[in-house]
Amino acid sequence: MELLDRYLQAVRKHLPWQRQDDIIAELRANLEAQLEEKEAELGRPLTAVEMEDWIKQLGSPLQMAAHYRPQQYLIGPTLFPIYRNVLKIALIWATIIYCLAQAIALVTKTPHLIDLVRALFAAPGFLLTVAAWATLVFAVLEYLVARQIVNIPALCPPAGAWSPAGLAPLDPAGNSGAKPKSFASAIAEIIFGFFWLVWLLLVPAHPYLLLGPGAYYVSALPYKLAPIWVPVYWCIVACGALQLGWNLIELVRAGWQKTHPLLPLVYRAGGLVPVILLLTTKDHALVLLKNPALDQARLGATLSGINETVNMSVNSVCAVLSILLVGGIVKLILNTRRKRLAASH
Amino acid sequence: MTIAENLFENLRLELRRGCLTLAVLAQLRQERYGYTLRKALADDGLVIDESTLYPLLRRLESQGLLVSEWREEEKRNKRFYRLNADGEQMFTKLLGEWNAINASVLKALDASPSETSNTAL
Repeated sequence: MELLDRYLQAVRKHLPWQRQDDIIAELRANLEAQLEEKEAELGRPLTAVEMEDWIKQLGSPLQMAAHYRPQQYLIGPTLFPIYRNVLKIALIWATIIYCLAQAIALVTKTPHLIDLVRALFAAPGFLLTVAAWATLVFAVLEYLVARQIVNIPALCPPAGAWSPAGLAPLDPAGNSGAKPKSFASAIAEIIFGFFWLVWLLLVPAHPYLLLGPGAYYVSALPYKLAPIWVPVYWCIVACGALQLGWNLIELVRAGWQKTHPLLPLVYRAGGLVPVILLLTTKDHALVLLKNPALDQARLGATLSGINETVNMSVNSVCAVLSILLVGGIVKLILNTRRKRLAASH
Repeated sequence: MTIAENLFENLRLELRRGCLTLAVLAQLRQERYGYTLRKALADDGLVIDESTLYPLLRRLESQGLLVSEWREEEKRNKRFYRLNADGEQMFTKLLGEWNAINASVLKALDASPSETSNTAL
């Protein structure tokens, strides 16, 4: 009997305090009746081992008490789908903002590898904080809505409050993926690609094609571009030529309708090459003086400012291209997994 | 427990949950206290854990389907439950629903004997 008393005492601790006495009195009456009947059947009191087995079979005190509590949710089934969407959007935006903020912070001072490592290790903590706040807001909302303290029809519309007429029209591409490219847009892509390449090849000899009348003023400046811009330029030309060549092959093979899923990733990765070349330039000197012996003392500080600004821009471009590349890879993985799942069903 | 066993256990519990309420309401057309109710259900082949049955009685009472009273019996205070008028009505409705579901399932089983012969056995 002592074990039963101890069990009931443990259950009591986990019960709602207003109903503790009532519930324990009822539980005791039921369990004692059960015990008496067991003992009457055996014709003797239960041994310590038998008693322990019986109590064990009732379930842990926490488990027993939990059944007396109303079903509780941190975020219930009504709010959960909205919570999941909000959390997803919040985390995507938090990642983008964090990456941009860290990229800007890195370029505004002399970049060190340790800063990059610190930024990477701090990222999970930042994202967890965002997720925790989103969860907290929804937990409070759940509490308020469940107790009808607030009524938010937009979050919990009554059943039958929606209208099928408001459904979006059918997506012409269906679920098969992106909309196929038309023949006209494939031709236009090749024509524009060709002119872009011609224009790019003419720019070094005819800079006014890029800068307009400003080209004459720029040529008069005491600054020039660093030699690294030559391979960067040819990288850009090579990317344009490859893209044009690939589009021509696809047109000949009549495969223009569906772009290969890896192609956008290849273009994005290719776009990163010239940017990385610029970032790895020695001393980040992307602009030089035409006549350093004469102008270094006079224009050295201005030149540093120009280089700092150009480097900052290149870093920003690198951050954006990297995000686009990572986003593309994630999208490709998810699409592949979705197709695999669809095929397995 | 394997994934399949776990899934079966979850589905079994889901299936039992509604049936238990109906069985308890059926038994409580006659006044009973917790332990005798548990015994009556077990005698009819429906074994329910104490931690499920006793809180269920509280819930049904708070939902206005049962009435209870403390009374002394065999020198011990016990809480007796029975259906009230609302509980009777609810029981009748639920029983109708259960019969309809049962009939549908049996009809579906009859419609595809080859697929379900093992289950029926």
